[in-house]
Amino acid sequence: MGIRKLAFVGALAVASMSAFYASARAEDVKITVWSLDRDIQPAPNLIKDFNNLKTGITVEYRQIQFDDVVSEAMRAYSTGQAPDIIAVDNPEHALFSSRGAFLDLTDMIAQSSTVKPANYYPGPLKSVMWKDRYFGIPKATNTIALYYNKDMFKAKGLDPDKPPKTWAELLDTARKLTDPAKNVYGITFSAKANEEGTFQFLPWAQMGGGGYDKINTPGAVKALQTWKTIIDEKLASRDTLTRSQWDSTGTFNSGNAAMAISGPWELDRMVKEAKFDWGVALLPLPEADAKRSSAMGDFNWAIFANSKHPKEAFKVLEYFVSQDNRMFKDFGQLPARSDLAIPPTGQPLKDAALKVFQEQLKFAQPRGPHPAWPKISKAIQDAIQAALSGQMSAQEALDQADKKIKAVLG
Amino acid sequence: MRRLLLSIRDGRGFDIGLVSVPLIFLFAMAGLPLIYNIVMSFQEVDMFSLGTFARPFVGFKNYITLFSQPETWPILGNTAIFVVASIAGQFTIGFALALFFWTGFPGSSWLRGLFLVSWVMPGLVVGAIWNWILSGDFGVLNFLLKESGLVAANIFWRSDPNFSLWAVVIANIWLGISFNMILLSVGLSAIPQDLYEAAELDGANVVQRFYTITLPMMRSSIGALVALGLIFTLQQFDLFAAITAGGPNNSSNVAQYWAWDLSFRQYDFAQGATISVIMIVFVMFASVVYVRSTRHEVRG
Repeated sequence: MGIRKLAFVGALAVASMSAFYASARAEDVKITVWSLDRDIQPAPNLIKDFNNLKTGITVEYRQIQFDDVVSEAMRAYSTGQAPDIIAVDNPEHALFSSRGAFLDLTDMIAQSSTVKPANYYPGPLKSVMWKDRYFGIPKATNTIALYYNKDMFKAKGLDPDKPPKTWAELLDTARKLTDPAKNVYGITFSAKANEEGTFQFLPWAQMGGGGYDKINTPGAVKALQTWKTIIDEKLASRDTLTRSQWDSTGTFNSGNAAMAISGPWELDRMVKEAKFDWGVALLPLPEADAKRSSAMGDFNWAIFANSKHPKEAFKVLEYFVSQDNRMFKDFGQLPARSDLAIPPTGQPLKDAALKVFQEQLKFAQPRGPHPAWPKISKAIQDAIQAALSGQMSAQEALDQADKKIKAVLG
Repeated sequence: MRRLLLSIRDGRGFDIGLVSVPLIFLFAMAGLPLIYNIVMSFQEVDMFSLGTFARPFVGFKNYITLFSQPETWPILGNTAIFVVASIAGQFTIGFALALFFWTGFPGSSWLRGLFLVSWVMPGLVVGAIWNWILSGDFGVLNFLLKESGLVAANIFWRSDPNFSLWAVVIANIWLGISFNMILLSVGLSAIPQDLYEAAELDGANVVQRFYTITLPMMRSSIGALVALGLIFTLQQFDLFAAITAGGPNNSSNVAQYWAWDLSFRQYDFAQGATISVIMIVFVMFASVVYVRSTRHEVRG
């Protein structure tokens, strides 16, 4: 009898507890967030902190892999199982907003006291826009600049405080620094046949007065010609055509390349691995007085149009935005905002580099925005590779790319 | 009624039941996706209409667009080169190794088993390792070639359009050798030894014995192996993803990688499906060869 009674009491306790939880949960609005952030990156940590605030909104997090973001998102959206909030790579953003898959946040942003468009760098902000409306909020940002090995500059009699400022100077410097006997290339970058190649080349084309919608202007052709000279004169490894930015910069860190074009994501590894004095400079220009430009990377937040709780979802985004000042200190990512001062890290090389990247960010331009960006990007990649592998001249390759892109743009 | 029940227990009904189980399975698991893929190649598909079947039909438009692209024929040509070169390499080396182990020296069966290590390795791992071996500046292959005096300057296997496809072919041959060797070893051991003894008594030399006994007796194994090889090489995707990503400028791009790239990188699912349909035709052809050669085997 005793056991039975105990079991009954136990069951009652469990029942009442679960009833309590059920009622507690019923009050909470559940918001789901998908992003590619790992446990040491912003999203899961910010969500943990947000849930601890007990605002009546409970956020559930799911991590997705980089390659799956778009395909998972569209599958979920077309079957009505999309999350409320998603982080999407900035060139993919227009694809969703142009098809009405993302919620138009313009009015909510206008009323918000935390999210202010004026606080953002123009590049990242442009990437969340479609037809002059805001369809998201920049999550973080990055860009590319020129890393250079100061010790090698000194060894070759170059002034380590005067990194090359123009394309001609860059070629000259690379020629002086290249030393096949020591397995040293003058420069390394990535012209890989994926988004990385476009990411690296487009700023050059833009500095030359071109752009994705006018890719064969004389300036852009000169840009590709400069790249071709670098490869043809063996100032950079031919494997530049198949190597990622991360692997390319690895050769810089190991002292096999004297300069490297890459982004701030390299900083932590470089501080650890590079056994030499290095610096960062703004991307060289076609002429000393040309307009600056740079690439813009990283992800944006967006709310799916079929979210059942758009207001609550926006509150979650507002919380994320309010934590932007932690982005660099805690997670090593650059907030997309020009109004935040990033506190020094105490690591002089890294702090100096950060200043350059922040300056470069002012000129960062998004890829697109265009719903068919991957097709445009592919045309650019093919042109880069055709020219660098010697199958076509820079002019021919970009003419062909222009034809393909015009067909996409219609 | 009783007869029907009886036939289900033991008779025609039972046979039909047995046949229908795998047929239904095949239809659900392979047939439906195949048909779906073919239907998709005649539709206009984008990522937002992926979830529905009701998509506008566009006739042969996808096929016309595909073949009007300048890269289509080179890529199909690459696919042919990749398949032929891979199978030829895998088969020749595999056959040579099989014959070598067939001589039955001490430890031969043990060593033969060890060869399978290359076959059980995941393609992406194999790809990553070959990526290092084939690397232009610091690759082991270039080091060996240069030290042995075969080449004067580094060959950029992955980045030179003249070599990129061959870089993947080399890796794929390495990957497939052991599988070829094992299957051919099985075929070799099935040849009755007395045939060779009789031929030897008749005065046939080693070469004659190979051409008049070994090769004819292996016909069905070889047919099956080549057909399987065709299917496996047409499926080879990981190595492309890991070594060249189809570059530079599509010089190492093949149909299967392109189909993936179109579908999941450029989100052009209809074009991806169209390429898959073209590949299905080739695989069907290989399957017919495979089925015919194995049927021959069963009849013995």
